[in-house]
Amino acid sequence: MTSAAGGVIPIGPWQLALATLFVVFVGIVSLRLSLGITKDLAIATVRTYVQLLALGFILRWVFGINSVWLVLGLLVLMVLMASRILIQRSPDAPKGIFASAFVSMALTGFIVTFAVTGVIVQVKPWYLPQYVIPLAGMVIGNSMNGIALSLERVFADLDLRDNEVLALTALGATPWEASHGAIRLALRAGLIPTINSMAAAGIVFIPGMMAGQILAGADPVTATGYQIVVMLMVAAATALGSVVALMLTYHRRFTGDGVFLEKGFRQ
Amino acid sequence: MTALLEARNLVATMPAETGSARVLDGISLVLDPGEVVDITGPSGSGKTTLLRALARLLPGATGTLLLDGVPAEKIVSQHWRASVALLPQKPAIAAGDVRANLLLAWSLRVRRLHARPSDAALNAALARVHLDDIALDRDAVRLSVGQAARIALLRVLLTEPRVLLLDEPDAALDDASADAVSVLTRDFVAGGGAVMRVRHHRADGLADRRLLLSGGDLVVAQEMTQ
Repeated sequence: MTSAAGGVIPIGPWQLALATLFVVFVGIVSLRLSLGITKDLAIATVRTYVQLLALGFILRWVFGINSVWLVLGLLVLMVLMASRILIQRSPDAPKGIFASAFVSMALTGFIVTFAVTGVIVQVKPWYLPQYVIPLAGMVIGNSMNGIALSLERVFADLDLRDNEVLALTALGATPWEASHGAIRLALRAGLIPTINSMAAAGIVFIPGMMAGQILAGADPVTATGYQIVVMLMVAAATALGSVVALMLTYHRRFTGDGVFLEKGFRQ
Repeated sequence: MTALLEARNLVATMPAETGSARVLDGISLVLDPGEVVDITGPSGSGKTTLLRALARLLPGATGTLLLDGVPAEKIVSQHWRASVALLPQKPAIAAGDVRANLLLAWSLRVRRLHARPSDAALNAALARVHLDDIALDRDAVRLSVGQAARIALLRVLLTEPRVLLLDEPDAALDDASADAVSVLTRDFVAGGGAVMRVRHHRADGLADRRLLLSGGDLVVAQEMTQ
């Protein structure tokens, strides 16, 4: 066990085996007590191994090649996956919003990521994968959660208040005016987890990125700078992405004549 | 004289257990200024559907609608609805106080050029439906069902539409409040408007015609009571 140059103590096969042993122990306890979590735990453990090892090898390969097209291609792939997950998590949203989800994820993912790497951190070259890919991952992953919450909330809320939407429309409201209340609430709902984690950061927990940098031997104050930038950009990305996604989709629940499609009128 | 509101060959289908049913099967009707028409019919016969179609609030409805002889296609739907105002059956009270609810229409673009009624005008309107004891800054959540129904009616009346489509405006009201609503309705048509009502209360002598909606068609229900 030797200390690496960067200050990270590398984890070898033995250390991994030891960690796995703890999970196996929990699995045995669960079997004995018939808790019924053994299978889920086993699958989750295998997935963790496979997915993270794959990620590690892919990132090592990408960092080695250091190609602008490879980095951009990976970002597009991440946005595609995130858009798919986002739609799966919004069962109340209308069908056929994949393009809208993709546009909002791509807009926020690219704008916020490159604003940070290009303007704030100023990495050279601008596509330096060691910076761009992890930062993009955090932006896309976190804003995906917020956007999914907003989308699910706005369409569930419109259905819940279809009486109010009808009354407003009958008074001459446009779809935007009739949905405005639901859109406001949905935006708040999407941002709450981000705002909560900003409020608790440093008091209740050490945020993941900062913890990682400290473990890697970085000065805690330097790590703090990065963590603040990340939290702010995640908040910005979530808000921006939710606004774009809501603006691109809310009117799909209305006819061209501006009438809300209540449940009975949908195909 | 041009009809105030005219409908020709209104058709609306609804999904039903067995395929789809024609709720409105080619309905044509004319509403003249100053006229009150009551629609009757068994529940589920499409009375609410008809009112929504006339207000251009029914997805998938077809047919011709004219307001003052002007075809619906020539009128922006939001302006149409501001003129042919539907009061839905379930009163929808928005978050906020009574004043905000009465002035809800003035938060919309379609009314941005109209002056909003003063507090004095709002209080006078409340008094006309026996709601003098309701303060304008009272939280609307605390209104009873009957109070909410009257606030929802005033909210529409204050916008001074041309045609009023009332879906059971007095279903939740006691006799005295229902009478007050009838008086408001009478005054509205006296000013040149026209009203179409769906109601189950005892006849209040206001209706010029009573039409029966049955099997997707409108027929004369009975001759005038007065």
